[in-house]
Formats: sequence, C-alpha cells, structure tokens
Amino acid sequence: MSLDLARLVRERRLIITAGAGGVGKTTTAAALAVMAASEGRRTAVLTIDPARRLANALGLEAFTEKGHHVDAATFRAAGLEPRAELFAIMLDTKSTADQMVQRFAPDEEAARRILANRYYQAFSTYLAGTQEYMAIERVVALVEEGGFDLVVLDTPPATHALDFIDAPERMLNALDNRAMNWLYRPAQGEPGFGTRLLGRGRKIITRSLDVFTGGPFFEDLATFLSAFSALFGAFKERSRRVRALLREPGTAFLVVAAPSPASVQDSIVFARKLGERELPFGTFVCNRVHRPIHGPEVDLATVADHLRAALGPDAPVDALAVSLAAGLADHNRMAARDAGAIERLADAAERMPAVVPLFPEDVHDLHGLRLIGEHLLAEHSP
Amino acid sequence: MQNFLDRRFTLVTGKGGVGKSTVTAILALLHAAAGRRTLVCELNALERVAPLLGHPPVGAKVTALERNLSAVNILPAQALEEYAQMKLRSRTVTHLVFDNPLVRRFVEFVPGMNDLLMFGKAFNHERERDEDGRPVWDSIIIDAPATGHGVSFFRLPKVIQDAVPAGNMHDEASEMWNLLRDARRTAIHLVALPEELPVQETIELHQRLRDELGLPLGFLVINMMPPPLLDAAQAAAFARLPAPDDPVLRPLWAAARIRLGREALAAGYEERLEKLGMPLVRLPTVYSPGYARAEIEALTRAFGAQAGAR
Repeated sequence: MSLDLARLVRERRLIITAGAGGVGKTTTAAALAVMAASEGRRTAVLTIDPARRLANALGLEAFTEKGHHVDAATFRAAGLEPRAELFAIMLDTKSTADQMVQRFAPDEEAARRILANRYYQAFSTYLAGTQEYMAIERVVALVEEGGFDLVVLDTPPATHALDFIDAPERMLNALDNRAMNWLYRPAQGEPGFGTRLLGRGRKIITRSLDVFTGGPFFEDLATFLSAFSALFGAFKERSRRVRALLREPGTAFLVVAAPSPASVQDSIVFARKLGERELPFGTFVCNRVHRPIHGPEVDLATVADHLRAALGPDAPVDALAVSLAAGLADHNRMAARDAGAIERLADAAERMPAVVPLFPEDVHDLHGLRLIGEHLLAEHSP
Repeated sequence: MQNFLDRRFTLVTGKGGVGKSTVTAILALLHAAAGRRTLVCELNALERVAPLLGHPPVGAKVTALERNLSAVNILPAQALEEYAQMKLRSRTVTHLVFDNPLVRRFVEFVPGMNDLLMFGKAFNHERERDEDGRPVWDSIIIDAPATGHGVSFFRLPKVIQDAVPAGNMHDEASEMWNLLRDARRTAIHLVALPEELPVQETIELHQRLRDELGLPLGFLVINMMPPPLLDAAQAAAFARLPAPDDPVLRPLWAAARIRLGREALAAGYEERLEKLGMPLVRLPTVYSPGYARAEIEALTRAFGAQAGAR
C-alpha cells in the first residue's frame, strides 16, 4: 500500500527517488525539496546527476560535492517563501574507493599498502558497490548529523539503483573473507573446515582455479582481498546503520516512471524488489504524461475556415489544418497510452501515482520546479 | 561508416533509458537482412530485443528467432560454468569446484568478474567455428550495459590484461582487447536522446571511448527526434496565430504548442551532438502506444536509409 506524496514530504526524514534512466528522477527530487523547504522543513537534496540546467534552476552555478544553500531571493522570485533552508549537494560517486580505504583502514600503513596494490589499482572502480556505498554513507551522515528535517536523495539509474540499495550487504559479503581464508590461508580458516578430507578437496579446487585462470590469479587476488578486509570491522558497524536507516519508518522510496510500457514494467518490477528487501515503498511518480486535449469533432474544411478567419486569405490554411489535426491526433494517441500507464501503476500500488504532465519546455528556473512540485503534491482521486 | 554491416562485433551503448535495445533490434534486422548470420546478445538483462521483434523471450540458450537471426540472454553463472568446462575439460571437476558455496561466493565478489564472464561468452561466440572451420556467426550484436558505471565494461579486458601477468586469463583478455580495438571487426554505436543529461553523458562517453581507450566508434544514434509537424510556410502562419478562444482551434493550437516546444528543445540538443563529428542517424519519435514489430521495422527502414545499408 502506497502513501500520499504530500504526506510523505511533510512527515518523512529521508525520501529516495529511484527508477530507470531518463525518467526525471533528479527533477522530481529537486521539486519535492523546494516544496518541503517552502513548507518549513530544513531540507537537503542530494543528486548524482551533474545536471547544470537543474542546478541553474535552483539559482546555483552547478551542483557540487561541497553543497550550496539556495538563497531566499531565488525562492521569492518564484513566488515562494522559504520557511526553512534548502541545500543542494552533489554526491561524487567517482574516486570514492580511495576515500573508503583511507576512512576505514586501521592505520595509515594499512591504507598505504592497499592503495599501492596492483590489483587494487586495476579494480578499484570495479570493487563491487564501492561507489554506491560511499554515496549512501554520505546520506547516513547527513540524515543523522546534518540537522535536516528532510533529506531527498536522487539515486543512479535503475539496475544501479538496486546496487545502491544492496551495496552495504554486498560489500560485507565481499569482505567477509571466510571463503578466501579457507581456500588460500587454511590456518586462519573457519575451524570446521580444517579437516584433512576437506584439505584434500581444497587442493583440487585451488589447482582447478589455477587451471581456470591459467596462473595464480585467484591466489594473488585473495592476498589482496585479505589486506582489504582489514577494513572489515569499521565497515560492518557503519553498514549496519545504513541498513537500518534504509528500512526505518522515516524513509520512503518513490519509484519514478516515464509513461512508456517498458518504463512502467521496469518500475513495477522495481517496486516489487523493494518489497522483497523490506524497503519502504512510498508511491509511484509518473512524469511527462500527455494529458488528453479534448475538442469538438470537426472536419478539416471547418478547421481551415476558422484558420482563414484568424490568419487571413494568404496563409496556407488547408495544409496547416491537416498538420495541426495530425499533431492533435498524435498527442491524443500518446494521451491514451499514458492513461493506460497510470492505470497499471495505480493497480500495482493500489493508489493513484503522482502525475506530472509533459511541458513544452525543460525546467529552467525555480518557478518551473514549483509547478512540478504542485503537480506532485496535488491530490489524485482515482 | 559505410561498412558497418561488415563488422563482426557490434556493441550498442548509451545512458540508461535512451533506447539501446531498440537500436540493437534495428541493427539485428539490418545485419540479418544483409544475409549475415546474426546473434544478438543481451547481458543479464530484463530481455527486450526478442519481444521487440515479436518473439517470446529467449532466455540463456542461443535461440533462432527468424531467418539469419538468433538471440541469447547471457547470464554470469551460466557463462562461468561454460567457461570452466571448456578450461577444466571435465564436468565432474567443474561441479566439484564451482558448486562449492565458498568458491561461488568468492568468484561472485571478484570485482568485475560477472562482466568479464559475460563479455567472454559473447567473445567466444565471435570465435565459434563449425566443422569446416567457418565462423558460425557473421555478426555478433551486443546490447552493452548502460554507461552508469562509466566505461568500466569496455575497459575491463585491458584492466585484466594489465593486472594479470600471464596465463589463460591474461591471454583471453588480450585477445578480447585486440578484438575490441580492431576497427575492421568492431563498431561501437552510441545511442542518445535529444535531452540534457543524455547529451551530456554522450559527449563524455564519446571522449572516453575514443580518446582515452582508442576504441572504434560507429554511429551516433539520436533516438526519439520529434519529426517536424509544420513546414516553413505553415510554421510562419502558425506563429501569427494568437492563443485562440475559438473552441475549434484551441485544442489544435494547444497540441501544436507542446509539439513545437519539444521540437525546438530537441533541435538545440541535436546541435550539441552534431559537434562530436560522428556520423549521425536520427530516429523519429513514434507516436504510438508502444514499440512492436511494425514500429521497429519502420525505424529499421529509416536507419538503413540514413546509414547507407545495402
């Protein structure tokens, strides 16, 4: 069962926008943050997309790692009164593996050893979930210590949004080195595995793995990963807090969709996966919806007559009538598609999604964000 | 990019949600129509390509879809098992090793392992030969992962080649890297939408794939370009039309205003993409409820005409 978006914005501490790429997650996050601040909640919006247009819409030069305060004049220019502060922060998801090593290594020497390791250098951008993990760490710090009433977090696109959520567990699994110890450092392995019989099995396995890779690749890698697992203790504690925060009743996930059948399908699957992980689903948001444009049934000759009356005898009114009628038909065909999309989302969530119509322009100022925010928070009767 | 149908190894990439699968399906039809035995590979995906072409999902087994065209959804676990059997030459040993939960867990968390295995399987299809030593496939077309994680996927063979000093894995990675860089065999097509973030990301992707990694790029496909609603004379007349109160014109005017707004936006983004100097293919927005076979075929004709397909 999903919840009213207006209520979520008033009551929750952490709102996470998730969904496939290109569906308007970042804009949704920014619009909600603007609405929350104008309603008196001290708010931070965290994004991963370096969307300059959106930064400019908030009166900022760009989103940065440091974060910027959106000033009151920008709010007033859009006819809003900021009753609380709004901060916009960009999460830098690049080069964060280094930060993690430095942060969690027991001492400087251990950190240096890891950073200098050839495998680490080759794979640091690939270390399962590192980037997502560091981003989410930052969120925990902000929610717990930032003094904000609301943090709105914009996540990386779809399959990756799940990485984002699974990051803590996956990192823990990767660093839990029982498997490596058993395979390559039997002395420190789990005692239960230390029998002679298993010892012989191990030899077959390690030798097979060497054949598999054509060299002692896994063994080298295991050496590295056990150095890396010096980070384990500090990391475990932190990730427990991340896990708890994501499942807290103060947290809500918004799943943002475009109205195309593929995007709707992805979003419904995504919402289901949230449920499987016991993560609190808030509601669906459907962006760029074609609203049906109704008008009287008229033939092209009538349209041409009306155009002639408005434009005079020299205008190419017959051709224009044909084009405009085709444009309206295109639009309403898309509107019918989008109505179907909204219905499917409503069925899946057992309530109407928040719906934002397609606008003729991109959002380029706070006024545009306010407009979107108002659509998002409007009551939707089924 | 005249000879894109001669490349044996085609990859399609771009930001998530830009229509990579659509472009993969189009390229598959073009390659197959050129008489090439074509295999489409999706990587651990919510399968899109076969359904777009009107076929049921194919799953992890290579499945013939139609004349000259087969598809497969490559899954990491299965790729691992196939590769292991090939190297260890024994089903029993393979199971002994890889059914061990600790081994599985370890292999699963080796950074980049899943991508490497899937890449490796696609690569093996490229090398597949029949009894007479002829290639089983003329064209392998890969719906590559979204660029969310930068270009890690494309860099992977090089990373392995550099990190692993010698042996099987090193040699395999070197061969993969050689294939990927070979402009006679490989083309990497980029897909973008005429919207802000996809354009920004495409510019960055182009720079990294071409300048940093030196990989052979193919077309830049701009997907969902709104086709012009009005010609110049009509547009000039429309511009003089005030927001009408007239109930006959009002709805026509409202729909046209949204459409022309999107056209103007798209034109601005198109201009930025043109500056990359890549050969462009523009695919029009399809104003229909969904993409099915008929839409894909229409887009395939549009693609073929612009790309100079035979």
